[in-house]
Amino acid sequence: MNDQGIKSRPAYAPLARDPVGRTHLLVADSMAIPHAAFAPGTSLGDYDECWTVEGHSRAIPSAMPDARMHGFRSASHLLIALRRRLAMEYMGFRLYAIGTEAFLWDVAAAAEAAGMGKEEYALFHAGSGARRVLCVHCRTLNQGVTTNLVACGGCGAALFVRDHFSRRLNAYMGVQVDAEMPGERPDVEEIYR
Amino acid sequence: MIRHDPLAVRVAAIEPLSATLKRLTLESADGGALPIGSAGAHVSLILEGGDRPFRNAYSLVSMPGERGCYELIVRRTAGSRGGSAFIHERLGEGSVIGATVPHNLFPIQRHARKHLLIGGGIGITPLLSYLPALRQGGERLELHQISARDEVPLFENLLAPHAAHDVHVHAGRGALDLSALLARQPLGTHVYVCGPAALMDHVEAAAAALGWPASRVHRENFGAAGGDPFTLRLARSGREIAVGPDQSMLDALEAAGVPVPSLCRGGACGECLTKVTGGVPEHRDHYLTDLEKAEGALVMPCVSRAKNDLLVLDL
Amino acid sequence: MSIAFKTDEIFRDGFRYANSDAAILRFPFPFVEDSYMYSVNIEPHVRGGPTPAFDAVLDIDEHYIGECRERALVLAQDPNRCMVLPHMMAAQWDTLELIMESLAADYPDHFQLGKDGDRWTWRNRLLNIEDSFVFGAPETLPFEPFEYITRQMQGDFTLQDQRDGNLYMDGGMVTSQADWSLEFDLGMTFHEWHGPVPLAHDLGVFDRALQYLLRLQYGRPVRRLNWTMTVNPRLDTSPENYPLWGPDRTTVTPENVGDKLHLRVELQTLYRLPRSNAILFSVRAYLASMNELARVPKWGRRLHRVLRDIDPALEDYKGLGRYRRMAIEHLAQFDDGAPTGKGIAPEVDVLPA
Repeated sequence: MNDQGIKSRPAYAPLARDPVGRTHLLVADSMAIPHAAFAPGTSLGDYDECWTVEGHSRAIPSAMPDARMHGFRSASHLLIALRRRLAMEYMGFRLYAIGTEAFLWDVAAAAEAAGMGKEEYALFHAGSGARRVLCVHCRTLNQGVTTNLVACGGCGAALFVRDHFSRRLNAYMGVQVDAEMPGERPDVEEIYR
Repeated sequence: MIRHDPLAVRVAAIEPLSATLKRLTLESADGGALPIGSAGAHVSLILEGGDRPFRNAYSLVSMPGERGCYELIVRRTAGSRGGSAFIHERLGEGSVIGATVPHNLFPIQRHARKHLLIGGGIGITPLLSYLPALRQGGERLELHQISARDEVPLFENLLAPHAAHDVHVHAGRGALDLSALLARQPLGTHVYVCGPAALMDHVEAAAAALGWPASRVHRENFGAAGGDPFTLRLARSGREIAVGPDQSMLDALEAAGVPVPSLCRGGACGECLTKVTGGVPEHRDHYLTDLEKAEGALVMPCVSRAKNDLLVLDL
Repeated sequence: MSIAFKTDEIFRDGFRYANSDAAILRFPFPFVEDSYMYSVNIEPHVRGGPTPAFDAVLDIDEHYIGECRERALVLAQDPNRCMVLPHMMAAQWDTLELIMESLAADYPDHFQLGKDGDRWTWRNRLLNIEDSFVFGAPETLPFEPFEYITRQMQGDFTLQDQRDGNLYMDGGMVTSQADWSLEFDLGMTFHEWHGPVPLAHDLGVFDRALQYLLRLQYGRPVRRLNWTMTVNPRLDTSPENYPLWGPDRTTVTPENVGDKLHLRVELQTLYRLPRSNAILFSVRAYLASMNELARVPKWGRRLHRVLRDIDPALEDYKGLGRYRRMAIEHLAQFDDGAPTGKGIAPEVDVLPA
């Protein structure tokens, strides 16, 4: 992936259970969790619970009180349960997330809203590299962007996708590429897959 | 807005709270408004007694934002021949003393979902200023004060205005199960502790063992400005300049008429970089690399000091 | 010192803007020597400096009325240029207090603040504002306190919350910025919001600046100068409105560069706020054209040399690419090769006619 040299773009490292935490919950937006998500010598079995997205409408979290694995219909479905869980948790809790960037920062927003800090949650990017791009001119959120340039769904501007990332908005910044000289644009390349 | 230390303050009232505790009320000596003190802030009093001034830091217990006066509580430490004895024995109403502008190294964390306050003995003082500020903001709080058995009524009295809240006084450390208290705190809690070093260390260690991140544990800290006095020798002229305990090397050089180029005066910009030809610097800057600091051949005189009595500069 | 306030300035299409001789002589020219590179150029914000722009805590000048009017226009078209996160209410009142007290003290003919306990009365004679309110009670003001008072200021402001050993940009009034977005950057850490700045990260500038600012003390504000260039005297060079001002960059010609191209200098001041422990960052922007600045002989020479020798990465970041050559060729006439004195002072009391 190309690097525009911008330092706000998140970097991710493989996950490892924090040895000082007391309760460890892992959430993922897919059932296919790659081995690369875990630091060498560690695995899914290290976590007290694992919540995944199954992606079908009959999925439902286990009703068993001590179940370790829970499946959800969608990322939205999982996030609803996660917010409720965080509201009832205690200090010493640790949260881990694996998935697309948009999912990771939705999880991080839920954690921050519950008062958690950066030392209490960890994220690992897996799956699609497509980006959410906020048009800085009209504020439309363009989903699933895989190219360096994208036509804004709101105002039609040809946006260049900058590496500048807002964790609060969970989006990269899109800026009109040819505002100075209409039509003066680089070639379109698919680089965020 | 640009305030110059020290402020001249007049002792408006002295109220004995117990045999060893006095509450001081200080007003601006010129009758004007004082710089603003916030919850957790402290001032250093500068007391001219004997051959050198005492400089003692005290937390403000006045209402946060109060500009008419500063209130603080001073415990006379056993065997003290320093500032606390001076305050208890020699300071009277009407005395004028020096005070620094309030400085806050123990601020309220506005992001916290809940504030857990733990005081030990006279360490309750900064937490007394927290209570009205947290209540005004409608924040969730819980306070535990650990006290010697004979002082329980005293602290219950000081906390009486807040008795309707989750506020508890315990007779002795054994009366409070700190680990159980920390273990049952909801996600998003911050703990603030002020008291004897052993208590603060204990809370820190117990919280860490229960998985609290360090950024959620706050202990009172008056900062480490200044230090032991030492002497500077200027290699080119052989001249010697004394650096006082509350003075930076840069201040001492300037006061002695030795100009050193400077800009930020906070150890960041690198402008006052000076070569060292003898002695060992105690580095406090953010400019030199770790390697440069270890080599000891360069120093930033705006913030750094000396590890021994003499430092020789290439000036 | 009396200021002749201008009342008819326009900072957008239909531009109407010029600096008086007094305004040129007080300009905070940013180049202390004949070349430029990033540094931690922070110093204590003490009263007085190389030009009168450093005389007040918060400087106002002859452009005050026009700049406040321009701010109101920007906010009417885009209310999100002023945003403050909810945990920053104490910092909002800190800001209002700092600004009202310093304006009333530094410019008593124009601003007055009366206090009767928590009942305050604020008079701004330049904008014909008089309001009584209760300090600490937001519902007694027509806007939240931060927006209320920064609508009456030249320059942008941001609020930084300090926590976890970092600074977070958790509020701001940003209508006259050099191409960065408050709405996008809101909530970011110090290194994140400086992410797009080239070179300085690798120089360690931001690590040192952050450590310094974390230790900033109440009562000891600090300042620095920053700069960029703007085509036309336009204040709102925001990313939001880049489609509106971007085309300006193609309108520079060798004939008009001296009047059209402006040096935009930010006098940045930083204050530790006492109640909230937050940091207020004031970014006061000054605009002057190449030809206005070249009336000070030292500045004409120096500007030519700085632009001629600038690092290519900075040229790109500051958006100089399309017109730097034209500016250098135009400024060459003011550079006779004579040496320039150190520091930024104009070294003349009166401008040549």
